Amino acid sequence: MVNLTIDGRAVQAEPGKTILEVAKENGIFIPYLCFHPALKPIGSCRICVVEVKPGPPRPLPACATTVAEGQEVVTNSDRLQAIRRELMKLVLINHAIECPICDKGGECELQELTHALGIDQVDLKAIALPPNHDYESDLIERHPDRCITCGRCVRICRDHVGAMAINFMNRGYFTELGSGRVPLDCEFCGSCIDICPVGALINKQFKYRARAWEVDKTMMVCPFCGGGCTYELHVKDGRVMRVYNGDSVLLCGRGRFGYPVVEAEDRLKTPLIKENGKFRTATWDEALDLVSAKFKEIAAEAGANAIYGIGSPRATLEANYLFQKFFRAGLGTNQLDNPGRLHYLKAVAGLAEVFGWPKVTEVKAVGKTLPPYHSPLAISEETKGSGFPFVLGSFEELAQADLVFAIGADITPELPPLGWAVNKARQNDKFKLILANPRTTKYDRWADLSLRYKPGAERLVLAGIMKALLAAQPDRTPAIASGNLEDLQETLKKFGPKELATKCGFDEAALFEEAATLLAQAQAPAVIFGVELLGQDKAEQTVMALADLFLLIGRPEKPGSALYPVAEKANTRGVCEAGVLPDRLPGYLPLDDQTAAAFWGDKPVIKEPGLDLLAMLDKLETDDPAAPQALYALGGDLLRFLPNRSRAEKLLGKLKFIVVQDAFLNDFAQMADVVLPVAIHAEQEGSFISSGGSLGVLNKALDADGVKPDWQIISELGAKMGFPAVPGSPVRIFQDLAKNVPLWAGLAPGKTVGSGIPATLSGKFAPFDLDISLPGRRPFTLIVGKVLQHSGSYTTHHPCGTLVVTPKGMLALHPEDAASLELAEGDEAKIISSHGEITAPVTLDANLAQGVVFLPEHFAEPAAHMLTLNSNLVRVTIQKA
Amino acid sequence: MILPLIKGLATTLRHVFSKPVTLQYPEEKRPVYPRFRGHPELVVNEDGTRRCVACTLCMVVCPSNAIKNIVPAEGPEHEKYPTQFVIDLTRCIFCGFCQEACPKAAIKLNNLYELAQYQKEVLILDIDRATQKKSEMRMPDWL
Repeated sequence: MVNLTIDGRAVQAEPGKTILEVAKENGIFIPYLCFHPALKPIGSCRICVVEVKPGPPRPLPACATTVAEGQEVVTNSDRLQAIRRELMKLVLINHAIECPICDKGGECELQELTHALGIDQVDLKAIALPPNHDYESDLIERHPDRCITCGRCVRICRDHVGAMAINFMNRGYFTELGSGRVPLDCEFCGSCIDICPVGALINKQFKYRARAWEVDKTMMVCPFCGGGCTYELHVKDGRVMRVYNGDSVLLCGRGRFGYPVVEAEDRLKTPLIKENGKFRTATWDEALDLVSAKFKEIAAEAGANAIYGIGSPRATLEANYLFQKFFRAGLGTNQLDNPGRLHYLKAVAGLAEVFGWPKVTEVKAVGKTLPPYHSPLAISEETKGSGFPFVLGSFEELAQADLVFAIGADITPELPPLGWAVNKARQNDKFKLILANPRTTKYDRWADLSLRYKPGAERLVLAGIMKALLAAQPDRTPAIASGNLEDLQETLKKFGPKELATKCGFDEAALFEEAATLLAQAQAPAVIFGVELLGQDKAEQTVMALADLFLLIGRPEKPGSALYPVAEKANTRGVCEAGVLPDRLPGYLPLDDQTAAAFWGDKPVIKEPGLDLLAMLDKLETDDPAAPQALYALGGDLLRFLPNRSRAEKLLGKLKFIVVQDAFLNDFAQMADVVLPVAIHAEQEGSFISSGGSLGVLNKALDADGVKPDWQIISELGAKMGFPAVPGSPVRIFQDLAKNVPLWAGLAPGKTVGSGIPATLSGKFAPFDLDISLPGRRPFTLIVGKVLQHSGSYTTHHPCGTLVVTPKGMLALHPEDAASLELAEGDEAKIISSHGEITAPVTLDANLAQGVVFLPEHFAEPAAHMLTLNSNLVRVTIQKA
Repeated sequence: MILPLIKGLATTLRHVFSKPVTLQYPEEKRPVYPRFRGHPELVVNEDGTRRCVACTLCMVVCPSNAIKNIVPAEGPEHEKYPTQFVIDLTRCIFCGFCQEACPKAAIKLNNLYELAQYQKEVLILDIDRATQKKSEMRMPDWL
């Protein structure tokens, strides 16, 4: 700690902090324009000048001067005020005085500062600059005549988002911020809007709709991807005006511009009942009575196991917890699963195989009453944790990693906040990035090593790297206690490095050695793997290979050195941890866990595991007597995401009775007998667990128009079926859930799962399958994946803002492939696989390797999963339609 | 005795020939001073367009909540204008703060004072009735 005085006040500060930060902490006001807490200081506006003794005779910028022992800082002398006023006048010379119509009016930093410095007249004159307005760009509008060239947007875009879409043009007085006088072609995250101190960058969706002071603000977690960002929702007269993130600024396009989905025209408002193949509207009582009668009938006839439940990664923890309680404690069956089975649960299975299932012992119940969404369990000194959740890292920690190895992940589209964390880590000079992906992705430009392998060859790449690593350092001792290395070595013996390189599509085996050298040198290596990898058949084998690699190189004692599997949707990780699984209870506790009895009151837990989602479909296919007869889905369009759509459609059609709880009448809901409309987004309360394990809280900001939150529907249905009463609010449901999950001890909003629990990690190397064959002999390999502007099918409903940028699904082709097929941008192409065929418009993308094509899975049309079999990869033939 | 009587009659006689003080209201209206504060109205340009840009500062400054429901919209030239603007004269206290706050001189108090009405709704002006028709606006024009 250093001691200094600011304006005569003695303060203590941490060394390395700047004068501005210390003054802010102590409530001393220093004005600034170019500085922002989320950015590195550049000291360009000079409004924050202070006089420092001992120091040079001239004033110094407070934002870029660090505190020192014995410093005397004056923040507010006549001389300083005169300098500030003069500087402000220079800034104001060419500033368009449009405050009455500028959306920033009322929250404008320039406005406030002009007022604070008492400037009522600018007696300077200069030639007027052309306004150069940009009204053409999507979603963002630019007014360079309001710009004060502070450069905040340039820095956030370059350093944090990594899009580099805005930069300074011209010099001196003529400096302008722009994209070369053409409309923006960027990620459309809109972070520049929230960081702009003036109204030079305007949110088109918010433009002219409300003044800054008219809105009601609600903090909440973003409901789209698994990033768990929090933002302010601004509401006026019961309508969402905008999404705003003033503190950390970063949000992606779907978070910032996706909110209108809550007002989508095709939202369901009343329950629907299917009669003679047609839906009719019904009252809640009518619909729930019908569901309860049908469920009772089927359970009486064929047993409780005949009813199958599918949880939802969009629904809150509370809803999912009640859902599995409805099945386990109410119906008395373990027949439930969630769509994470198709990707995230493969990571869970693979990691659990190597690091074990989570086990946390000696947690204490907190006696006193707790704030909302705080775990009633506390970490004590004897608390010990083990298992795979402790090798999963949080996004904050990732910034401290000195090497990131990303494989099978197009980071930004899958999980934008993970990309920002990588960008933060990149600020470290010693940082290294290894990128392995069949396509060129955004991060390749910063990669120290890019591995471009054939789609589906991830396991071979990992085998090659581990082989090279063990060959270079045969007696390497892993930092994590581990065993069974022989098993791994046995697996690796199967192929030689040359053979592996050929199978991966590499020119030379030296790439493996290069990667292995970088990985072996890293002090805090992090491993990222995404949905592109997890969506494949046998992805749990790939995850085991990744876990083996992490056992070899990982240093979990170093912050940032961890595994980062991508959990795609807001609550993908949460739905699994809340226990919507056929074989695990909340917190991944086994079905025969001793503590589990407490969950169900007097009703014992059924020890017999249920069928998982894919096994359930197989049973339906064989008309097995164990196949379910009724399905209760908490939401999500199963038909859009289950591979091999025509098979899924046929099999789900065999079910006698389907209940779907969803906000939209999607393709799967069309098959249902009863559809129950649910509250989404800011219409409900609840919590999510993000991909990085942090707990985010949704707050109610909008009135639900006729729809009900998931948890309420489940609890009302439970009451109708005669099940015991459940807690009556999300806050109490969370307590009921968390008191039984030792893994969540100490969890609170903003905190991460397992943080603070002393963990002992150990693992055993697991042999994995090296067979990567992709069935079929067709010439192209299709990757079905995610695009940046969409999250599941959620954002594809009008009037979602991101539809402006990416309105439809297009088949991405390498230009040379397209030329050989005589296809041009915008042409319709016919895509044929062994399982189906669809047509899609073509877009050319040189980032793809030749022979690899890409199709997003978000859209109803083209229905990408018409083509797939059991994986997100499939061999296809492409023709001109 | 007679003298005071004559004095009084002289005074009366003098007033018979002078201009009467009484105003024959409502046939005659009393002219008001230029700075008289009547009720607020939206000012139009010479081409008949409103000057208001829907910045809502008048609504913010109004101490009696007489100005409400300003609904902004965007025009073809990216200009901002109100599509709704309500002045509730039953709440107005004629303080003139709105005129003072307006950055565009788009709202001003006129010189009208005959506001008594049988129906309250007549005094709640929507955007069209709150807009001045021409500079010399009289009561019957807008009621």
